[in-house]
Amino acid sequence: MVKVENYEVPENLYYSNDFAWIKVEGEKVRMGITDYAQKQLREIVYAELPDSGTELTQNEPYGTLESVKAVSDLVAAVSGTIEEVNTEVQTQPELLNEDPYIKGWLVVVKPANLKAELSNLMDFDKAVEWHKNQGK
Amino acid sequence: MKEAIMTRRVVIIGANAAGMEAASAARKKDRTAEITLITQEKTPGYSRCGLPFVIGGQIPSFKDLIVYPPAYFKMLKLNLKTETKATTIDTKGKLVTVINKNGAKESLPYDSLIIATGADAFMPSIKGREKQGILSLRNIEDGEEILEKVQNGAKSAVIMGAGLIGLETGVAFIERGLKVTLVEMLPQILPAMLDADMAKLVQEHLQEKGMDILTEKPVEEFLGDEKVTAIIAGGEKIEADLFLSAFGVRANTKLAIDAGIPLGESRAIKTNSKMETDVPDVYAVGDCAEAPNLITHKAVCAQLGTIAVRHGKVAGANAAGSYSQLPGVLGSAVTRLFDIEAGVTGLTEVVAKRAGIEVVKGAISSKTKADYYPGALPIKVKLIVEKESQRIIGAQIVGGEEVTQRINALSFAIQKNMTVRELAKADTAYAPPLNETWDPMVLAAEMILMRLR
Repeated sequence: MVKVENYEVPENLYYSNDFAWIKVEGEKVRMGITDYAQKQLREIVYAELPDSGTELTQNEPYGTLESVKAVSDLVAAVSGTIEEVNTEVQTQPELLNEDPYIKGWLVVVKPANLKAELSNLMDFDKAVEWHKNQGK
Repeated sequence: MKEAIMTRRVVIIGANAAGMEAASAARKKDRTAEITLITQEKTPGYSRCGLPFVIGGQIPSFKDLIVYPPAYFKMLKLNLKTETKATTIDTKGKLVTVINKNGAKESLPYDSLIIATGADAFMPSIKGREKQGILSLRNIEDGEEILEKVQNGAKSAVIMGAGLIGLETGVAFIERGLKVTLVEMLPQILPAMLDADMAKLVQEHLQEKGMDILTEKPVEEFLGDEKVTAIIAGGEKIEADLFLSAFGVRANTKLAIDAGIPLGESRAIKTNSKMETDVPDVYAVGDCAEAPNLITHKAVCAQLGTIAVRHGKVAGANAAGSYSQLPGVLGSAVTRLFDIEAGVTGLTEVVAKRAGIEVVKGAISSKTKADYYPGALPIKVKLIVEKESQRIIGAQIVGGEEVTQRINALSFAIQKNMTVRELAKADTAYAPPLNETWDPMVLAAEMILMRLR
């Protein structure tokens, strides 16, 4: 884990331009939003997530997060089928602010085309550079 | 109907406090709308109110004033056109024409239009005003120019106008080591914010800190060949390295006037409680728009950041097909100048009397902690009450600390129509390091009750 400006960027993840992270866990992929994203949104009050079984397409929205300040689409970092949804963030959306990389995960996906799609994502080193250029 | 045909187009002219708040509110109410912001500036979404504090050095860089970074626009799917000027509004055809810095023109159709064109620094018709070197502080570029002059060895400054911007920038200059002379046409500083008795406390503090303050000195002439080297104010010649014009700001209404969008009695764009102008589907927000004062019910253009974001939030929701109203504004404001804080809410005594309101006032000088507690600082609370209804209609506070939340408390009291009798019995909190047993707000109410007997 490093901190870029004030934002945490863990080592073992891939990142998208749309403020999502993924963690490859064997055959599956866990997905969430970055520390940067939650800090931009501030206190998140509502997480609208699809049900298990929903098909995701890389770079397409699959849900929304609403905070006191703003509202933002959740954009899928990989294509695939949702196998698991974090119902805890639906009842306790503050988990997204408190712990975006661990307790605040959003969905677990069975990826459709992971190998090819990973090339569209940033690895840790690229993500650190990207975060440096985001502004506070 | 297909969804694509129904995508709502919201165009917002202006991308600072009011415009950004409007865009965020519109997005919250309509997740699919096409929202476009247009700004003439290079940098959108920053805090103008923070500019003097970058000059003063408390904030390291102008970049730190950016409230909405590019990522915010991406997250909320907001289109942004920077360095682009809106040239005309066709309210019948629902089109805004814009031109970018390369001269490329474009027509933007809208379903809802929000005008957030702000205000410009005002320069009275003073002899020699066309000369170079008269600075004003309205945007980041202005701030950078001023800071550069300060860092390049300017030793002295003349500030023209004793409003918030003039004083806050004057403080910044002194903190940077400049000798500051401030000239004001009226007999007091902060004339739009405080009554003369309260302003005097602030003036004395500024003078103690080295600011040379000359009241009742209207600027009569700018001297110098091409570049200003001195001014004449009240018959007196004052030389300096740097000249800041802080005469105030005027609502930027030209675009609206040209489009036939009416102004109100405050000379800002006329709006109703939904921030709609008199033209259908056109809203106006921020420093260019008016809203009713909650006490007098007369339209005012108060030009504060707090009011701008409230305008914007209401207009953004309505522009996106939702419903929201702004009941009105009080114009609550605070500032800190060196070691003194000053605040106001509601009407000053002068403004109340001008509005024909019969008032009773009370003022209490107290301390910010128990009198015996080390470090207790002076604080003075002035309350203004309408005689007939006994309702609190205004308050001003000048003190060493703890001014803001008292102003907020009194703002709530005014908004809830609290009477001075209720305030005199109000429950307040106390501990020796934090407050007196009788809060000065309550004692000021007690004083007024005695005068009402």
